Amino acid sequence: MLLRLDDVTRHFGGVHAVDGVSLEVEDGSIQGLIGPNGAGKTTLVNVITGYTRFQAGRAWLQADELTGLPAYRIAALGIARTFQNIRLFKDLTAVENVLIGMHTRRRDDTLAQLATLPIFRGAQRSRVKDAYALLETVGLPTSVGTRHAATLPYGDQRRLEIARALALKPRLLILDEPAAGMNPSEKQGVRELIERLNADGLTVLLIDHDMRLVMGVCKHIAVLNFGKKIADGTPEEVSTDATVIKAYLGTGGEREVSSAPGAGGVNEETEVEQAAVTSKAAREPEKAILDVDDLTVSYGAVVAVRGVSFRVAKGEVVALIGANGAGKSTILNTLSGIIRPESGRASFDGLDLTNAKASSIVKHGLVQVPEGREILARQTVLENLELATWARRDGAATRTRIDAVLKRFPILGERRDLSAGSLSGGEQQMLAIARGLLARPRLLLLDEPSLGLAPQMVDEVFRAIEEIHKDGTTILLVEQNALRALAIADRAYVIETGRILLSGSGDDLLHNPAVRRAYLGG
Amino acid sequence: MDQFISLLTDPVAFWNSHTLLIGQIGINGIIATSMFLVLYSGQLSLAAPGFMAIGAYVSVLMGNYWHTPGVLNTVTAALLAGVVGLLVGLPVLRLRGVFLAIATIGFVEALRLGVILNVPITGEGLGLSNTLSADPLGGINVIIVSLIVIVIVVWRLTKGRLGNAWAAIRQDELAALSQGINVARYKMIAFVISALMAGYAGALEAHLFFNVDPSDAQYGVTRAVQILTFAVLGGSGFVLGPIVGALIITLLPYIFGAAGDYINVLAGIFLIVVIVFRPQGIVGRGGLALVRPAWWPGSRVRAASTG
Repeated sequence: MLLRLDDVTRHFGGVHAVDGVSLEVEDGSIQGLIGPNGAGKTTLVNVITGYTRFQAGRAWLQADELTGLPAYRIAALGIARTFQNIRLFKDLTAVENVLIGMHTRRRDDTLAQLATLPIFRGAQRSRVKDAYALLETVGLPTSVGTRHAATLPYGDQRRLEIARALALKPRLLILDEPAAGMNPSEKQGVRELIERLNADGLTVLLIDHDMRLVMGVCKHIAVLNFGKKIADGTPEEVSTDATVIKAYLGTGGEREVSSAPGAGGVNEETEVEQAAVTSKAAREPEKAILDVDDLTVSYGAVVAVRGVSFRVAKGEVVALIGANGAGKSTILNTLSGIIRPESGRASFDGLDLTNAKASSIVKHGLVQVPEGREILARQTVLENLELATWARRDGAATRTRIDAVLKRFPILGERRDLSAGSLSGGEQQMLAIARGLLARPRLLLLDEPSLGLAPQMVDEVFRAIEEIHKDGTTILLVEQNALRALAIADRAYVIETGRILLSGSGDDLLHNPAVRRAYLGG
Repeated sequence: MDQFISLLTDPVAFWNSHTLLIGQIGINGIIATSMFLVLYSGQLSLAAPGFMAIGAYVSVLMGNYWHTPGVLNTVTAALLAGVVGLLVGLPVLRLRGVFLAIATIGFVEALRLGVILNVPITGEGLGLSNTLSADPLGGINVIIVSLIVIVIVVWRLTKGRLGNAWAAIRQDELAALSQGINVARYKMIAFVISALMAGYAGALEAHLFFNVDPSDAQYGVTRAVQILTFAVLGGSGFVLGPIVGALIITLLPYIFGAAGDYINVLAGIFLIVVIVFRPQGIVGRGGLALVRPAWWPGSRVRAASTG
């Protein structure tokens, strides 16, 4: 056993980010660690690597206990890691980045540097040679060596980060979403790299949202949800585990589980392409209030949304579902004018959304309730609502509007004078939706309204969404909780790595096995 | 400006007639290198005037009271500044960025207002008379040699494992930790070496003049800001940057001497212009080529965004 975790626990305030996780990573294996957004994967990595303190539990790397050691000592013991959001030394060259990774293996050379004797030059030369060899190992050309890390393309930066981690000569390499934001061929490259490193004897702990990558490369996978380990086993075992399916697809999906296909094992790219057929009842509306055509959005070199087209008719509830990182939120942020698309068109009731200012889009009646709610925690419920209307300055009408919204959400009426931060997650979500309603939306964009909520609160939030819909508001809903979203949606689109994979009526997709595959890759 | 003509026509005469100016440039160069070192390791410390004060007062007091030789006084004073650096560093190096800057300014002002202006042995507001050990003429060679040695040492330090660790910390502390770098330790090493250098410079400076003056411009916030300007103006990416900054700032009163009362206005405009055109400093990456700001007419950045 290379790495052993025993009952590791880390809470942040009331949030049980990691809650009694025990895990063993076998020497020479590739261990997968997966879980829905917010499951505690990165927190667990941060605890293992010493960035976040243990609250309870212990951890060992072979015979060395890791519990309570500072991060640099844990690194020196032989745990190297990469970061979810690349953390290279940006203004240093690629080779310098790798040389810094050799820190723990180098003896202090201060005196040698001061003397600058030729004998010491040899050591430095051989280190630089090693650094270039590591660049080659991860598939970077020699020409990259003298370039500043920040100037490298995104995929190369990910590779360079792995090279830097390898420079430590680690016993355990932890990769935190190494394939995030990569296109399929780059992902294939990462997969081959991981397999090659493992074949050379390196133990890897792989965290990624891309199920096809994790399922394909790992012999053993642990699944986290709400900070707890809910499953641990081979890819086949995990992908057919009812608890795992529920964690990924959401609650209320018992009937879905029974209709899921048998253990799929490793799927190849082609199989998914075949699944990308539109199911029969997916008739798009003729007359749409929202019309998105061939929309492509990039963050620098990362293409988040690739040629997405869809329409929403007045009075519909349309859901965009898909795993984390699929590009759903990016689509919403583009529609509300926060992000500008690279190409494609999007119009809302005659307004060109790709050009309009965010403020005029809201005035036109397209209102977004952002992911993570973004309420003002220190202000009271009422102050939060009043701030949402401050631009209107039509006293009495605003007051009536607030009263109406408070009537729609009686729980907020009861808590109007409490600080918003003291509300439960579900109540905060209600407040965020209520604030959105004050802007008198004709089309309401809801980004992950059930994120991080307990099942009971999820019910209430969805009930509220249905009621708002009955009042005549058109809704575009983004959700990871696919089964819940499909249950209330007239139509839905399944998004995977920035593309629409499937579309159809909510009911149809609810029973489509390809939906499960989009989430679990199995 | 006229006075600099002799630099070309008769360098020996220039050297002899501008000893104090050359000495001051050398001392500011050493202090600039001390500033470079903390910035290179990612620490926005403004503590240098405090360590300079320690160097100045300790060395002069030793000479005045014990009549010990200048070399011993200077070395002892620098070492003591290093020890104080260690003690100050223990609490304040937990802070980062602007918070570290404020805390180090607190140290500088507490030392000047709280100790130097209040303890009789320092001469309080009058400062110390230094007639016994001052050496404005002979001291200059020591200063120039010291500057050259210090620059070479610091330059070599940035090239080795130590310098790699500092650069890593400057760029990303969290990532540095995950390379096994003991961030707190390497920050402390840079801070203490920097304090030693500032203390040494302070001691040398005290022996350049006949009087140790406890003013704000000498050992207070004003000096701290001036030293930071060396680095910002010259660029803090390479060891020579802050020295170029120190050279220019020290010469500014002479360059704009003709402007009389408006000298500070002109010097200020000059600094703004340099920083707008060279945000990375005069000796920044990309050589000495001028980089035009994005809003400048005809700038490539602007052309690309409008075209």
